[in-house]
Amino acid sequence: MLTPKRVKWRKVHRGRMSGRALRGSTLTFGEFGLQALEPCWMSNRQIEAARIAMTRHIKRGGKVWIKIFPDKSVTKKPAEVRMGAGKGNPEFWVAVVRPGRVLFELSGVAPDVAKEALRLAASKLPIGTKIVSREEAQA
Amino acid sequence: MTQEFKLAIQRRGETGSTSSRKLRGEGKAPGVLYGHGGEPTNVAFDARAFDDLLHRGARTALVTLTLDGKSDTALIREIQRDPVTRRVVHADLQRVSAHESVHARLPIATVGVALGVREFGGVMDVMIHELEVEGPADRLPDRIEIDVSALGIHEHVTAGQAPLPPGFKMLTPADTIVVSIESSKTAHSLEESAAAATTEQAVPEVIGAKPAEGAPE
Repeated sequence: MLTPKRVKWRKVHRGRMSGRALRGSTLTFGEFGLQALEPCWMSNRQIEAARIAMTRHIKRGGKVWIKIFPDKSVTKKPAEVRMGAGKGNPEFWVAVVRPGRVLFELSGVAPDVAKEALRLAASKLPIGTKIVSREEAQA
Repeated sequence: MTQEFKLAIQRRGETGSTSSRKLRGEGKAPGVLYGHGGEPTNVAFDARAFDDLLHRGARTALVTLTLDGKSDTALIREIQRDPVTRRVVHADLQRVSAHESVHARLPIATVGVALGVREFGGVMDVMIHELEVEGPADRLPDRIEIDVSALGIHEHVTAGQAPLPPGFKMLTPADTIVVSIESSKTAHSLEESAAAATTEQAVPEVIGAKPAEGAPE
């Protein structure tokens, strides 16, 4: 699963998810991609589940790019603990996704296979997405 | 290439995000017209007509613009789009004359199925999707077609090998790899990741942290 190797700080502020993706909103490597339509914190488990769904469907051939990285730690307090006494422990890692962000890219497979693989990957994600292609991006 | 593209544009007095947003609400899109030593002019045009032009292939073609009763030829240099709705937010138009030599970035289209993909189950990797060329503005092709059918595994096509129409010069360095055929790693990586899959989250190293005495973290 994707996790950072080194971090400067173990715990980070929550931040805001307003606005649209300023970067990473275009296809850069592949022929097809999956674009986020809503903001979310996408956990490394969700990213991994989507990746597995995609690679299982395309079997042989094809190349997959994961264009987001979960570099933000999310903390949680243990169960049945009173409020206060400091911030909880880091539990998992998330990527901050804003609308427009291209999450995954795919190339080297037939268009129908690529679209089905991305549809399966989308079903593992907590937000609405759409499939984008280089052909329509160039039009 | 033989098609003629026409777009009516109007002068835009107000600039800035508020007036641009208002324009977009009226079904227009803001843009700027520059080049040939003239002052840059802020313009507006019908967004639907502009989209229609792009769908007909005007992205790399000469467009005849009509402004204040005068006509001018221009190239669409840059289009800013909303990342979600794909609506045109702004466009740059550069005045060029028909036979003028211009720089342009042309998209690549691969033709055929590579031998390495067909026979050996390889993957075609398009490394760069646009090539920069220089040539006459009125003869810019809408794409550069590269035949990949003879490429085997670990073979590639460089920018210098890409076919160009007569009168055009390649500006992208000739040794830049454009398309390569690699062996597929998908099945292999899936098995690898299945073997390495753990439910535990690795704890990252904290930069500059002092090692705690006796503590696990």
